[in-house]
Amino acid sequence: MIYGIRQILKYLAGTDIAGRSLAVRPDDTFLVSYPRSGNTWTRFLIANLLHPGEPVTFANIEYLVPDTEAQSSRHLKRIPGPRFIKSHEYFDHRYPRVIYIVRDPRDVVLSYYDFQRKYQQIADCYPLEPYVSDFVNGRLSSADWGTWAENVASWIATRHNRKNFLLLRYEDMIADTPGELLRIADFLEHKTSPRELDQVIERSSAERMRELEERQSDLWVSTKNKRKDIPFIGTASAGDWRSKLPAASVLEIETAWGPLLRFLNYELATNEGLRAAREVRELYSR
Amino acid sequence: MIERMIAGIKLALGLHHPARNLAVFPDDIFIVSYPKSGNTWTRFLMANLVYPEKSPDFANINRVIPDPEALSKRTLARLARPRIIKSHQYFDPRYRRVVYVVRDPRDVALSQYHFHIKRTLIDDSYPIQRFVERFVAGETSPYASWGENVAGWVATRYNAPGFLLLRYEDMMTNTQAELAKVAAFLQLNASPERLAEAVERSSAERMRVMEKTQARKWTSTRNTRQDIPFVRTAKPGNWKTELPQAAIERIETAWGPLMRWLGYPAGPSNNGEGIASVLETVSK
Repeated sequence: MIYGIRQILKYLAGTDIAGRSLAVRPDDTFLVSYPRSGNTWTRFLIANLLHPGEPVTFANIEYLVPDTEAQSSRHLKRIPGPRFIKSHEYFDHRYPRVIYIVRDPRDVVLSYYDFQRKYQQIADCYPLEPYVSDFVNGRLSSADWGTWAENVASWIATRHNRKNFLLLRYEDMIADTPGELLRIADFLEHKTSPRELDQVIERSSAERMRELEERQSDLWVSTKNKRKDIPFIGTASAGDWRSKLPAASVLEIETAWGPLLRFLNYELATNEGLRAAREVRELYSR
Repeated sequence: MIERMIAGIKLALGLHHPARNLAVFPDDIFIVSYPKSGNTWTRFLMANLVYPEKSPDFANINRVIPDPEALSKRTLARLARPRIIKSHQYFDPRYRRVVYVVRDPRDVALSQYHFHIKRTLIDDSYPIQRFVERFVAGETSPYASWGENVAGWVATRYNAPGFLLLRYEDMMTNTQAELAKVAAFLQLNASPERLAEAVERSSAERMRVMEKTQARKWTSTRNTRQDIPFVRTAKPGNWKTELPQAAIERIETAWGPLMRWLGYPAGPSNNGEGIASVLETVSK
């Protein structure tokens, strides 16, 4: 009841978190991904691309590319258009223009595991294998975004290959940052030069972001009042799962999501994915 | 500001209709479809199957199979569980048990056109071609476009245990067999007699009779034109004679691959590949 009254007062004052009830404008662009998929990095890349005059930091990012899940309705209302908004939401048909970043879920789960310990959403000693099961079966304490596959498939199935939708793979961004950044610039119809791109990449590098996190973690809504011994900026690499994820966990993820992994060109390490695809065909053959 | 105040007071008292913001319980069961896809028929079939003692009709259906767009938050929270809930929402990960009904979009467009005339959203002379353009763009419904609604659910849940996909056309051809799938999905031990009884009580003829006497007792038909029925032809394939060729092509261009994946023969168009590419990849 008290919680309800507080929510209503917040709603009246406009200090409620915007989240899914954000008032969307026709000139908004959304930067969407499942958590721990390179969203913050891309946020920095885009903010540095569009605002070459002021290097992006954790102190100004919430004004340049605000976070709909961390900011109030009022804060977002006051951002002048065209807005560039960060989001982890599953498909929302009101989003007019979307950059969607996808990352190999076998790496996402490792990063999320560290993150949820940082946020003290799971105990330090919570074992990894059951955590992966929670991740696959939609039992994480932060279940608002759907499972990884639900989030990804809800966007791809509705918007892939449509105009106003750009699909990026985190792994491609790591392997060829200038190339993928150029795709972003083209998508945003933002004229740029190789020199500018270099500067954007430099200003958004993992090293610089780690440095900023050390100095500014208390200035940023997503790291304020969180454990400092686990960094927000993770390994910023692709393929860690090959050495760090237990074989049983790899199997569980591939069995559940093999078909979607294959569609996204993520190589499967087990035969289970292909088997899953065959079963789907049998299920729906007419 | 005033609007926000009124909304705030309604929120405080629990009088608002929660629609998409419904508080979902893990044991909720949802009947989901795009509008004009046989949702009401399925609602009656399930109501007559699960709650025959309540003699479902248009006067009580909103309570038997509640509609979060028509009931207040307070009422919805007090209903006996597990609830069976009617919905047109596009993908929502909180819905764990979903019966999804899909219908050929060419018939959906036609049915929605007539429904919009009934609701006086457009007048009798509104060109159908213009309506279909807006239908394809997702502008005729708050539940996203037909393709977005269908693909969003099917691509996320096609192989999930809590998901049952039904085609309106299959339900027409063999109602009892499709209802048996629903009974199995609900883990309900229904005899053939019970299934046949539910099918009989949900027939289009019976629903038409009920509509005649109860149209003003139901939120979906109250305040609409009474000269156009809500329960319309209740048969598949009207688009073949009633939809102009250009409108058919427009729909097939937008969603050809998704339609073919669902078993709706569509022209040779491969545009809009994206919507169905996930499905086509996973199922080949």
